[in-house]
Amino acid sequence: MVNGYVAASLKEALEIRAAHDVVPYAGGTDLMVENRKGVEYLFLSKVPELKQIAVDDEYVRIGAAVTFTEALASADVPRLMKEAASRIAAPAIRNAGTFGGNLGNGSAKADSVLIEFVADAKLRLVSKKGERIVDVDKFYLGRKKLDLADDELIAEILLPKQGLEQYSYEKVGGRNALAISRVSFAGVFAAEGGRITNVAAAFGAVADTVLRYKDIEATLLGKTVDEAKALKEDYLKAYADRMVLTRGRVSAEYRKTVCMNLLRDFLTKFGI
Amino acid sequence: MEKISQSVVKKDHATKVSGRSVYVADYPSEGVLCGKMLHAKVARAKVLSVEVPELPEGYFYVDASDVPGDNNVNIVLDDTPVYCRETVEYIGEPIAMLCGPDEKVVEQLRDACKVEYEELEPVIDLRTATEAFFDYRFGHGDVDKAFAEADKVYDEEFETGYQEQAYLETQGMMAEPEEGGRMFVHGSVQCAYYVHGAVMRALGCGPTGVHILQDVTGGGFGGKEAFPSILGCQVAVAAHKCQKPVRCVFDRREDMEYTSKRHPSLCRYKVAVKDGRVTAMDIDVIFNAGAYSTLSAVVLQRGIIAAPGIYNVPNLRVHGSAMKTNTSPCGAYRGFGAPQTFFAVEMMMDHIARDLGVDSLAFKEAHLVKQGDPTSTCGKYHFPVPIPAMIDEVDRACDYRKKRALYAKPQTGRYRRGIGMSMYFHGAGFTGSGERDLIKAVAKLRKYKDGTVEILASNGEIGQGVRTTFPKIVANELNLPLDKVYYDHPDTARVPDSGPTVASRSLMVVGELLRRAAIKLREQWVDGEEQEVEEHFKEPDFMIPFYIDKFEGDAYPTYAWAVNAIEVEIDTYTGVGKILGAYGSFDVGTPIDYNVVMGQMEGGFLQGIGYASIEKMDYDAKGRIRNNSFSDYLIPTTKDVPNMQCMLHVEKYPDGPYGAKGAGELPLVGAPGAYVEAVEQALGGVTLNHAPFTAEDTLAVITKEAI
Repeated sequence: MVNGYVAASLKEALEIRAAHDVVPYAGGTDLMVENRKGVEYLFLSKVPELKQIAVDDEYVRIGAAVTFTEALASADVPRLMKEAASRIAAPAIRNAGTFGGNLGNGSAKADSVLIEFVADAKLRLVSKKGERIVDVDKFYLGRKKLDLADDELIAEILLPKQGLEQYSYEKVGGRNALAISRVSFAGVFAAEGGRITNVAAAFGAVADTVLRYKDIEATLLGKTVDEAKALKEDYLKAYADRMVLTRGRVSAEYRKTVCMNLLRDFLTKFGI
Repeated sequence: MEKISQSVVKKDHATKVSGRSVYVADYPSEGVLCGKMLHAKVARAKVLSVEVPELPEGYFYVDASDVPGDNNVNIVLDDTPVYCRETVEYIGEPIAMLCGPDEKVVEQLRDACKVEYEELEPVIDLRTATEAFFDYRFGHGDVDKAFAEADKVYDEEFETGYQEQAYLETQGMMAEPEEGGRMFVHGSVQCAYYVHGAVMRALGCGPTGVHILQDVTGGGFGGKEAFPSILGCQVAVAAHKCQKPVRCVFDRREDMEYTSKRHPSLCRYKVAVKDGRVTAMDIDVIFNAGAYSTLSAVVLQRGIIAAPGIYNVPNLRVHGSAMKTNTSPCGAYRGFGAPQTFFAVEMMMDHIARDLGVDSLAFKEAHLVKQGDPTSTCGKYHFPVPIPAMIDEVDRACDYRKKRALYAKPQTGRYRRGIGMSMYFHGAGFTGSGERDLIKAVAKLRKYKDGTVEILASNGEIGQGVRTTFPKIVANELNLPLDKVYYDHPDTARVPDSGPTVASRSLMVVGELLRRAAIKLREQWVDGEEQEVEEHFKEPDFMIPFYIDKFEGDAYPTYAWAVNAIEVEIDTYTGVGKILGAYGSFDVGTPIDYNVVMGQMEGGFLQGIGYASIEKMDYDAKGRIRNNSFSDYLIPTTKDVPNMQCMLHVEKYPDGPYGAKGAGELPLVGAPGAYVEAVEQALGGVTLNHAPFTAEDTLAVITKEAI
C-alpha cells in the first residue's frame, strides 16, 4: 500500500514537507522501481508552480515537475537540453519523468543533470522558511548526496538563456533506447572577438558525480583558437591525469578512452 | 501464397493483448501458500547445518528430507537434486523452500535462516575444468594425412558467452494436492510430460498419481524446457508436505541469476588447406555445463554435429565435451548448441579466406554442401540445399557483394562501415533417432457431437503459435471453419504424449501427425457422433539410421536453411556498433501462417543480434553473476535494429505438413557470425574471435591496433 500526500499547491507541498518525513515524488520513474518499504511520499505532479517553463532576462526557468516530454515541446528550452532529454529512456518514461526527479535521484548518470553542469545552471530551492539559489555543482555532491534540507524542495532549474548555442553532446548507452548512460559528454563553446570565452566540458556516468574541471577549462579562456590549438595536447593531458573514473557496467579504462575521444572531438569541432 | 499460409488472427490473441490471460502468478492467493527458495550463497560447500527460525503456525520449511520419492530430478541424467544434497554446487542452488500464507513473512523467515557452510574449492573458470559430464568424438576420412599434406594449417580459438532467455514471464510453478492423493502441478512450462515424469519420480508415485497442466506461458525460448521439471518437483514436494497448494514464482533477479542460460563455449578449430580448399578440420568443442548435467548432453550433440558448418569437409575429426563448473547449470536456449559452433566455423572460414586473399563469401560458396552430399555424421542431405539462391536473395536485398567490396577499401573518419554474412542450417526435430526411439509421439483428435474438433497433444503454446497453427492444419483437412477446431493448453491427465515443445519439432512432427489424423477422421466422419482418432510417429523411410555411440547416420531428416547479412557502422570514438541493416533469408518450408512465421523470424533474428553484440553476462571470480536485472543485462529494442528485412525462401519438406519444416530456432543461430564479420571489416580487417562483441571490446581493439 502506498502512503502519501497529494499537494495541490506549492504552499501546501512545503507545509507537508516541513511537517512530515516524506520523499518528494514527481514522475516516480525511479521511485516506483526502487519501491522503498515503509516510506511516505509527497506527490508533486499536480503542483502548478512546479509545472511551468518560464523565461526571464537571464534564464529559462524549468519547473521541477516539468516532464521531459513537456520540455521537448517547449520553444524556450535550449536545443542542447532537448537533445539530452530526447535520449532519456523511452517515450513512456519521458512522459512521466521530470527535471526535479532527475536531480533528486542523485545519480551521475542523470542525462539532464549533465547539461545543467555544463551550462552552469542554478537551482532554486524552496522551503516554508524561504528560498535559496545554489549552483548545480554545489548542490550535487556525490552519489545520492544532495545539498537539500529535509524541509526543502527543488522548485526550478535556472538554465542560462544564452551561450548554449555551440555545443557537443554525446550519450553512450548500452543500446539505443531504454539505456542508462555508460558515458555521457556535453561541451559548450563560445568565443567573442576571436577570444574563447567559454569551453566547458562535463562528463556524466563516469564517477560519483558529474565531472567538470573549471581550472583546466580556464587555461584556454581568453585565448584565440590558434593559441588554444597549440595548448591542446597539454590541455588533454591535464584531463587525462585528473580523471579518475570508476568502473560500473563498463570498465574504467573504457570510460576514460571514450571521455578523452569525445573531449578531443569537441575541441576539434570548434577548430581547436 | 498458399491458402494454408495466409495469416489468421491467433487464437490466443484477444485474451493476451487484453490482459485477460491467466498466468500462474495470477491465480488468486487465497488458500495458496507462497514458496520462497533458500538459495546457496557460495559456489561449492558442504552444508553443515541450517538454523531455521521458529516457524509460525501454517509456515513450513521444506528440504530434501521431505522428498517422498527420489531426490533426483529426471532430465537426461538424474544428477540434479530436487533440494540440495550434502553439498551445494553453485551459487543459487536451492537448499530449501519456505512456505506460508503471507509472502512477506515467508521472505523474512527465509532471510532469517542461517546456513553454515564448509567451503570447498570451486571450479569457476571453464579453462581449468577437468570433469566432463559428456565427452563425444566422431569424424571421418584421414585427418592426420590431410594435415600432413596441407599447404597451410590454421589454428584458432573461439569463445561465446552466456545468453539469458529473458522471457517476459519468469519461472513459476504451482502444486495442488487433489482428493484421492493425486498431485496437480501447473505453471509456466514447455514440456508438460517432462514435468510429469520428474514429479512422479520425486513423489514416488505412478503415472496416475500426478497430472501436469501448462498454464498460459509468457515465453520460453528453451528456458522452460528442463527448469520447470526442477521447480515442479520442488513445489510438488512442498505441497505434499504442507497438504496445501504451494506456488513459487521467481523474481527477475532470481530467474536471471539462477536459472538455465545458453552454454558459454570455447571452440578450437584446426583446419588444413590444400590448393585453396579446406581438406580437413580438427575441432574441439567445450561447453560450460555448469554444476549439473541437465540438458547438456543433447545441447552438445547438436552443437558438435553442426561444427563443420554447411561446408564439405572431406576429413573431419570432432571432439566435444560438456564440462562441470560450479556455476548455474546451463540449458536450452533457441538454437541449442548450434549458435556456438556456427559462430566459430563461420569466423574460421572468413579468417582463412582473408589469409588466402579471397573473398569470404566466394570461399564459403566453393565449399557449400548440396543435395546428395554426406553430412558431418555420414548421413545425407536428402533434399535440395537452397543456399545459393538464398545468398542471391540477401545480396539483392542489401547489395551485399558491392558493399562488401566497397567497405574493404581503407576507411578514415570517426564512423567506419562493414558488412558480414553467415549461412547455416537448423536440423529439424530431435537429434538422431530421438523421435523414433525416445519420444514416439502420439496425437489425437476428438470430435464432439456438435461437430467441433479438439486437438489432443502435449505441445505448449509459448508464443510460437501452435494453438493457432495446429487447428489451421486440422481445419484445412476437415474443411471446417477455424473456429470449429480448438487446441487448449495440455493437461497430461487428458492428452497423449506428443513429445516436448522443443527442437523446432512441434509443427513439423506433430503438425504432420495431426494432418494425418485429420484425414483419417474425415474418412470416418459421421455427423452427430463423438469420434476419436489417433496417430503415431513413423520415421520417414529415407532416413539413414543414426547411431549415437558412433555419431553416424542422419542426425536430422531435413534442415531449415538461412543466410544472414548484417551491416554495421562503428563509432571509433565510443566503440558503439550501429546496425544499419539486418537481412535474412529463411527457409522453413511452407509457412503454416505467414505472420506467425515472420514474427518468429524477426524476433529470433533480433535475439541473435543481441547475442552477437550487447547481451553480455559473466560471473565473477566467486562464481556470482552480477548483472541479474534488465538494466544491467540489456537485450535489443526495436530501436536497435530499425531496418530488419526477413524473407522466406520455401523449399518444401515432403514429410512435413504441406511442406513445413522446423522454424522456431533457425532465425537466432547465424547473427553472431554475420555481425562479428561486419565489425571485423569496419575495423579494417582485424581478426576477432568472440561473441558477444561489445562496444567495450571494439574500443579495446581500436586502442590496441591504433585504428
